[in-house]
Amino acid sequence: MSLFSTISVSASGMTAQRQRAEVLVENIANADTTRTAGGGPYRRQDVVFQSQQVSSPFSSVFQSQLDPQATGVAISQVVVDQSEPERRYLPGHPDADKDGYVAVPKVNPAEDMVDLLGASRAYQANVSAISAVKDMIQRSIDLFR
Amino acid sequence: MLDPLSNSLDRYMTLVSVRQKLVASNVANADTPGYKTQDIDFESELHNAAAGTSPVVNTVPGLRVKNDGNNVDLDREARLLAENALRFSVASNLLRTQLKTVRMAIEGGSSAS
Repeated sequence: MSLFSTISVSASGMTAQRQRAEVLVENIANADTTRTAGGGPYRRQDVVFQSQQVSSPFSSVFQSQLDPQATGVAISQVVVDQSEPERRYLPGHPDADKDGYVAVPKVNPAEDMVDLLGASRAYQANVSAISAVKDMIQRSIDLFR
Repeated sequence: MLDPLSNSLDRYMTLVSVRQKLVASNVANADTPGYKTQDIDFESELHNAAAGTSPVVNTVPGLRVKNDGNNVDLDREARLLAENALRFSVASNLLRTQLKTVRMAIEGGSSAS
């Protein structure tokens, strides 16, 4: 039954979008963080999506000839922004250098908010796909009644 | 299985679910750079399905390619998602009527349900 692996495909989309949202929220939360464990200001992170074959562990046994492999999605890597941080003149700041400049993260909260909206909508699209497929499975089950 | 009609309904439902899987893949990969929308040629696959061959998955031409090389159109996928669900619903209802007729014959018409 290829319908069950369809749910795995949409679930992979949901997982990927959720992770993307987590990274974006982290960026927004740390928009003003000047101290990190690694030293220096916070650096913006971004996710890279990559398509990936999915099969639920159970269904791989029953993979029929009629089933084309299902293409899901996964996060292949999280990229950390390596560009120079912004320098802001804040002489009284504890992290200021001798000239009074503080290195602040190069995060644009507006950009991350827009991305977050996109992630949220994409998540909803995957949820709709799952509920449509769930309905189809239910109809197949109803055939036995 | 029972008769030619049930067999073609069976094939039809299999193809619709294969197509639904591709739609789900397209939605899941809506933000994947370089991903191209996948689909099957439904009409010709319905004719080929008699031969028992597995459906050929093609990329869909004529869609707008975004800057990252991705060409998934979420509106198209939403339409197909609804369309496939409806097609499947119609086919499963037809099949259920078929099965009901057979069951009625088995039970000799004793139960009206």
